[in-house]
Amino acid sequence: MQLCCKLKKSLFFLSFFTLALGVASGQGNCTLNLNGQVLDEFGKGLPGATIFIKEMEIGRVSDVNGKFLFENLCAGKYTLEIKFLGYESYENKFKLDKSEELFIPLTPAEEVLNEIIISDHAVNVGKANNFSTLTSQEFEERKGKSLGEALQGITGVNSIQTGPAIFKPVIHGVHSQRILILNNGIRQEGQQWGAEHAPEIDPFIATNLVVIKDAGALKYGTDALGGVIIVTPSELPTNQKLGGQFHLIGNSNGRGGIVSGLLEGGVKNLNGWGWRLQGTGKKFGDSHAADYNLSNTGYEELNFSTALGYHKERKGIEVFYSHFNTTIGILRGSATSSTEDLANAIEREPPQYTEDFTYSIESPRQEVKHDLIKLNGHVRSGKNLFNLQYGLQINNRKEFDVRRGALEEIPALGYILYTQTLDADWQITKSDKHSRNLGVNGMWQDNNKIDGTQTLPFIPNFTNYSAGLFWIEKISVNKWDWDLGARYDFKLYNVAGYDYRNQLYKSQLSFHNISGTIGSTYKINQNSSITSNIGSTWRPPNVAELYSLGTHQSAAAIEYGLLLDESTNQVLDIDAVNFKTEQALKWVNTYRLQKGKWNGELSGYINYIFNYTYLKPRGVTESTRGVFPYFRYTQTDASFLGTDLSLHYSLNRSFSINTKISLLKATDETNNDYLIFIPSNRYELAVRYEKNQPGNWLNLYAEARVKYVAEQYRAPRVVPIQDIIDAKEQGIDLFIDDNRNFDFVAAPSGYFLGSFSTGITKPVKNSRVDFRFSVENLFNASYREYTNRMRYYSDDLGRNIALALKYSF
Amino acid sequence: MKIIKILILTFFIGSLSFLISCKNEDPTPENIPELITKVILKFTPTGGGTAVTVTATDPDGEGSQDLQIDGPINLSKGTTYTLTIELLNGLYNPGADGYDVGKEVLAEGDEHQLFFSWTSTFSSPTGSGNIGSAPGVVNYQDEDINGLPIGLTTSWTTGADAESGKTFRVLLKHQPDIKSNTTTSLDGESDLDISFSSLNVN
Repeated sequence: MQLCCKLKKSLFFLSFFTLALGVASGQGNCTLNLNGQVLDEFGKGLPGATIFIKEMEIGRVSDVNGKFLFENLCAGKYTLEIKFLGYESYENKFKLDKSEELFIPLTPAEEVLNEIIISDHAVNVGKANNFSTLTSQEFEERKGKSLGEALQGITGVNSIQTGPAIFKPVIHGVHSQRILILNNGIRQEGQQWGAEHAPEIDPFIATNLVVIKDAGALKYGTDALGGVIIVTPSELPTNQKLGGQFHLIGNSNGRGGIVSGLLEGGVKNLNGWGWRLQGTGKKFGDSHAADYNLSNTGYEELNFSTALGYHKERKGIEVFYSHFNTTIGILRGSATSSTEDLANAIEREPPQYTEDFTYSIESPRQEVKHDLIKLNGHVRSGKNLFNLQYGLQINNRKEFDVRRGALEEIPALGYILYTQTLDADWQITKSDKHSRNLGVNGMWQDNNKIDGTQTLPFIPNFTNYSAGLFWIEKISVNKWDWDLGARYDFKLYNVAGYDYRNQLYKSQLSFHNISGTIGSTYKINQNSSITSNIGSTWRPPNVAELYSLGTHQSAAAIEYGLLLDESTNQVLDIDAVNFKTEQALKWVNTYRLQKGKWNGELSGYINYIFNYTYLKPRGVTESTRGVFPYFRYTQTDASFLGTDLSLHYSLNRSFSINTKISLLKATDETNNDYLIFIPSNRYELAVRYEKNQPGNWLNLYAEARVKYVAEQYRAPRVVPIQDIIDAKEQGIDLFIDDNRNFDFVAAPSGYFLGSFSTGITKPVKNSRVDFRFSVENLFNASYREYTNRMRYYSDDLGRNIALALKYSF
Repeated sequence: MKIIKILILTFFIGSLSFLISCKNEDPTPENIPELITKVILKFTPTGGGTAVTVTATDPDGEGSQDLQIDGPINLSKGTTYTLTIELLNGLYNPGADGYDVGKEVLAEGDEHQLFFSWTSTFSSPTGSGNIGSAPGVVNYQDEDINGLPIGLTTSWTTGADAESGKTFRVLLKHQPDIKSNTTTSLDGESDLDISFSSLNVN
């Protein structure tokens, strides 16, 4: 194994060496520079504006003085586009035949402009896609939050939560293996199957968070039935100036702090090269509910990343490495090992083992590390653009439970997942109205349990090979922008695991199918457009859905994979069960309006998923630890029907009102039943005051927000634990004949949360300092969120006061 | 076109390394020391005579099959018994380390306690047991290093009347760091919880 792996590694290096050589030896007779400064209405520099040369798809962000620089341009005609929040966007054609310096004043806009996305070679959101972004301002105000928590700012995006630190993003009611997260252009691959497994990404690496709500952003894979989350860092700098950012954030709840820093610059005498270094540290102790401490909910994180790249218009190469490392405590009172324990835990308030605040993290806890190495390059030749990207990810997850004696120090669950991806694509710009994108994606995965856990493995070891081919056409006709795509995928699994008797089993599985999407945006007029996208995609199953065996952390229920025999628990061949791959048909429509004082988007969607694989209650079993309900992965047809609305109204230049509404109804169509852990309807209203230049300061804002989360009325029936145990004592299995979905307790009631935040910027010479002060759960309300798995055990978080400082230069 | 050639070459070399698969060996099996697959209750009359033994066997651990209990507990009227409880892990061979889980529970007595409840009438202990929020008395015959009861050995005296079809429940709680003279069956996590549904006194 070692030898061939070494060979494999060297081949990869060889392949990129070839690429690097090829790139470096390319021609380079374009040496013109374009210098500029973006100015506000008073003639002062505007920092943070995006400047874009359309023909070359390259962008810059103006520095603290509003200045920007494009180097090594070829002579020619270009279109320069500049956008900045609160100003009319600027677009102008110009001819470049010598190096030039431009001063561009922007005109203040009455309406707030939509944030734009710099479409780098790696990430490309089509014009005919339904997408939402977190504006840089909204993202800035969420700095320090985990990825999943930050994404909650986008309508239609929620999370399945496990306590204060584990947020798993949910798009339009679906999550885990049904959504795809693109981290810096690479598919994020971890143990996605667990509801308590959050994405291993430090949001501080990103300047932009985008969510594509359509099924199948086909370029990236077939399995994104719910949508795609795109985490994009800004492009590497190519000018030599050293730049950087430092964040310091303190939180009262959890008495936690976050330090994050970023340094970047170009390389002297090596034109086109740029580098970046970034790191984040977080340390939180126990969080606090409104009325009591949440013992063992502390967490810590230490992440860093580095990038080095060479970027010119015609070619570029980049290497990126990131390391993510976290330890997360899980509420001690949620550790239960029988249904009776769970019944006790549900009754108790505050939870068992509630003690005084501490920073120490004991079992149950998770320790997760994720490493990513990425190499990518592009070459442009005339109308052709070639991209090549290789990624290696190593995901190491350990979960520690409360166990007897020395076993406490050994993880009860541990896996290392290696993922290699290779993506190549070819973009042909046929005209400014027609482009084509062809490509292949390859992936190799190797999942191994960490030996010595002294537990039956929850999921088996596996290797998996998959490959996909895609073809996307983008055509603009008059007021219509069309986007058509097709894709073929193949996936092969080799599985080896241990069954309930600790006996080895092995299987080989393969899946293949096609996907297709069609979408269009129609510009109704200057101010409004409508986008409609329909996609049919499929998803190969995850091994957890096929072979799971065991109980999850904090859940007194046993889970069985689809391939385990109902009565003997033996592993079956896939042909012996009536398994069909999941197939989704998702239709999303969005209406966008940007007129006068109004700016908003309204989407409606239906996602009908055939053969939707989920955990269905099947019966009650008895072991030496008592009575347990057991759930088996089962297939049904499910539908997700919903609406997202986000609306911004400017009362005048200072005051504005922002509304966000998301409504969702999820139904198990086959059984005419409701699904569990579906986000309930939520409504948000914010009033914001802004002043661009109070004295020598900048960007003063204050915002008050109220959020109402309705009770989930569309929840499955409630079957209390005592009823299950009592019935079992009478010899009755409550679920064997009636396996409708159920929950142990009723959905918590709806709740209101108030929050407030304010901030201001102080320019200091060539740098600036941003101050931000915010209060979440302003009234210290006691509440429980339906999608937080800790709702059985404790209240959600109480008031949090945060103070943030950001220094950028 | 030179560039395209380079790209194609790069891609081919890259994909080649995908085709070389690292041959996987079979995963190594785990020891499963925490599993209790067999529980033996042994009632030995203190005045001599044949012990009454009942065995509960879990055929498939977390699998969907129910626990199997090999018969009723048949005790005699007005007799004092010493109850010893054996906890065994059938994934190990008898005699191997890990087979006798009871031994580990005893060694970590300061983190474990067994609790009992019953619907029959014993003359000692009286009451109906110490499971639940109103704990009664159980005659513990063993103790941990802090002098607190464990419960692998207990003493029982049956009443003067015949009874049949009564239940007898045994609950083992893991109470790391919290076991004290005030902790009850509601504290800690369950390692064992079995209800024997047929206790007869003749």
